[in-house]
Amino acid sequence: MTDEWVIETKELTKSYGPHVALDSLSINVPKGATGLLGPNGAGKSTFFKTILGLIQATSGEGSVLGHDIRTEGLDIRSKIGYMPEYEALDDNMDAIHQVRYSGELLGMNPVVAMARAHTAMEYVGLGELRYRPINSFSTGMRQATKLACAIIHDPQLIIADEPSNGLDATARDSMLTTLYNMVHSGGRSVLMSSHLMEDVERVCDSMVLLHKGKLAAQGRIEDLKAIDREIEIHVWGSANELEQAMGKDGLDVRREGRIMRIKHDGENTTHRILKCAADTGAQIRRMHEYEASLEDLFIVIMERFGYGVKSSEDLLASPAEARRVDAPEHMGGSGS
Amino acid sequence: MSEENGELEASMPVTGQSRMDAAWGAESDSVASVARPANQTGQVFEQVYKPWNGTLNPRWMRNWAIFRHHLLGIFRKGHRPWGVPTKLFLIFVFIASLTDVALTLLFAILGDPSLYELWGVGRNNLYAHVLGFFPRNMLYYPLVAALLVGGVISEDRSNGTSALYFSRPINRFDYVGMKYLAVASIQALIILGTLMLYYFADILSMGRGWAWIIDTFPMFLTTMFCGVLLIVTYTSIGLALSSVSRGKFFPGIALLAIVLGTKTLAAIVEGLFDKSILYLISPYDSIAHVGQALIGANMMYDHPWVWSLVSVLAFNAISLYVLSVRVSSMEVTRE
Repeated sequence: MTDEWVIETKELTKSYGPHVALDSLSINVPKGATGLLGPNGAGKSTFFKTILGLIQATSGEGSVLGHDIRTEGLDIRSKIGYMPEYEALDDNMDAIHQVRYSGELLGMNPVVAMARAHTAMEYVGLGELRYRPINSFSTGMRQATKLACAIIHDPQLIIADEPSNGLDATARDSMLTTLYNMVHSGGRSVLMSSHLMEDVERVCDSMVLLHKGKLAAQGRIEDLKAIDREIEIHVWGSANELEQAMGKDGLDVRREGRIMRIKHDGENTTHRILKCAADTGAQIRRMHEYEASLEDLFIVIMERFGYGVKSSEDLLASPAEARRVDAPEHMGGSGS
Repeated sequence: MSEENGELEASMPVTGQSRMDAAWGAESDSVASVARPANQTGQVFEQVYKPWNGTLNPRWMRNWAIFRHHLLGIFRKGHRPWGVPTKLFLIFVFIASLTDVALTLLFAILGDPSLYELWGVGRNNLYAHVLGFFPRNMLYYPLVAALLVGGVISEDRSNGTSALYFSRPINRFDYVGMKYLAVASIQALIILGTLMLYYFADILSMGRGWAWIIDTFPMFLTTMFCGVLLIVTYTSIGLALSSVSRGKFFPGIALLAIVLGTKTLAAIVEGLFDKSILYLISPYDSIAHVGQALIGANMMYDHPWVWSLVSVLAFNAISLYVLSVRVSSMEVTRE
C-alpha cells in the first residue's frame, strides 16, 4: 500500500451466500477527484460499505488513507467525510444544529463543532439560511447541508454518493462546483458515485467503472477516452460509394446521413480516408477528431469489452487483446 | 474584432457588434455603440475553503454527544427535537409524581400524625410511588416510556439519519447504548428524581434523625432498584419495538398494548379462574411482584416471586436480542 493512492484494494471480494457482490476488485484511487460509475447492482454501495469498514470483506485486502479496511474502520470513518445518497437529515432540526451535531459525532467538542458548522455552511452556500429548519429546504439545500455535514472536520477524502441526485440545473451546478473547488482549491480528494456521466466528467480526473461486482475499467478519464478515438467527416456527394470504399479498405465506419465516423486505425487513417474520397469523387467538407463523451465510453466498455478489462492500460495497449482477457468463452476469452 | 487593435480576425465570431464596427469603421473612425451588460465588480458569494487542524476527541466524547443530544432535547432547542406534546406530558407527569411530596410537606406542616401516616414514607408508600398501578403505571410511566421510545430508533430508519451515525466512527453498540441511556435517564429524572424528592422531603419536613434514616434507607434503595428495573424493562421493550418499525406511533402504541393489554388479559383470567399465574406475561405485574417481595409491601400474587423475576429477565433478554439484531441490520447506504 502506497501514499500515492487514497484508496487501494487488492482482490477484494464480498459475497452474500452464493451472490458475489464484489468480485476480486483491485482498485487504486489516486488523490484528486475520482468518479465511481456503474449501473444499478454493479456493487457501488457494497464497495462503499466495505471501504468504510462497515462490512467485512470475504477475502482480499484494502486500505483507505493508509488504514486497513478490515481492522481500522473507526479510523477511516474519522478521516473521511461521507455524503449519503438518501435522506440523512432530521427534518425538524435547524440546519446549523444538524451540521454541528454531525461534527460532535466525530468527536469535536460542541463549541468547536458549532464554529466549524458555520464555516461549512458558509462554504456550501447556505450561510444566510443556516438557522432555517431543514424541512423548509429544497432538495438542493438538503444536498448542500449533507455536504456540510461531511466536510465539517475538514476530511482528507470526501465520499459522495450520487451528490447531484434529484437536483435542478442551478443546484446541480452549485454542487458540482463545490466538489470541484474542494479538490482544486481545497486540496482534498473526492470519490463520487454518479449515474450522470456529465457530472463525473466535470468534477473528476479519474474514474472507476464497475459492472456486476467486477472492475470493468479504471484510470484517467482522458486516457480511457482515447480507447474510442474516431475521425468524423462531413461528406457531400457519393457518400454511399465512399462508405463502401472505406469498408473495403478495412476501416470501421459508422454513418448517419452525410456524417460518418471512422474508427482510428493507426497513423495513416486520415490518409486512407482521403484516398478513398479521391477515388470515389466524394467531397469531404469537414474532418476532425471526434472526442467521445464519457457516456460513449461507458457504453463501449460495457457492450464491447465485457467484464475482463482490468485497467485502462489493458484497453489502451491492445484493445483486441483486452477483449479476450477473461472474457466469456463465446466472446473468445478463456471464460475465467 | 479584437478590441485593442481594431483588426478583424478569422476566428472572430460574427456578431451584431462586429458587423456594425466593420460597417462604421470602413468610412470613419466612429464606432457603433451597443448596450453591454455592466462589468461585474465583485462577487456576492466567494467560495473559500478553510481547512481545520483541530484534533478529534476519543470515543467517550462521541458517546457523550449522542447522550447529550437526546437528553438536552427535552430542555433546549438545537438538540433532538422532541415533540411539544411529549415535552408537555413529561412536565405534567413530573408535577403529578410530586403529589406525595406536596402532601407530605402539607401534612407535616399541619402536624396531624394520622394524615401523615397516610402519605409519609413507608413500605407501601415507597412501593406505590414507583410501582403503584393507578395512576402511575396506568397513566403516567408507560405513557412517558411510549412517548420517549416512539421515534428514537425508528425515525433514524425513516429519516435516514442512521447514515449520519454509522458513517462516523460510531459502532452499533455505542449508538444504541447511548440512546438507551438517554431515554432511560429522562424516565429516571421523573420516576427516581421524584422518589428522591419524596424521601428527602420527609427527612426535612419531619426533622428525621439518623436512626430513622438508617432504618428506612435500605427500603429506599430497594425502591430505587425496583424503579431502575421498571425503567430498564420499559426502555428495553420500547426500543426493541422502535427498532422494528419505521414510524413513531407503532412503537409507542405497541408498548402500551403490551404493558396494559397483558395486564388486562391476566386480570380477566384471574377474575374467572382465580389464578394469578398469567400475570407472568405482563411486564408490569412481573416487576410489581418482584418489587413487592423486595420492598416488603403487601403481596398481591399467588405464584412465587422468583418466577416473576425470571419473567422480567426474559422480557429484557428478548427485547435486547431483537434490538441488537435490528440495529446491526441498519444501513448506511440506504434503508
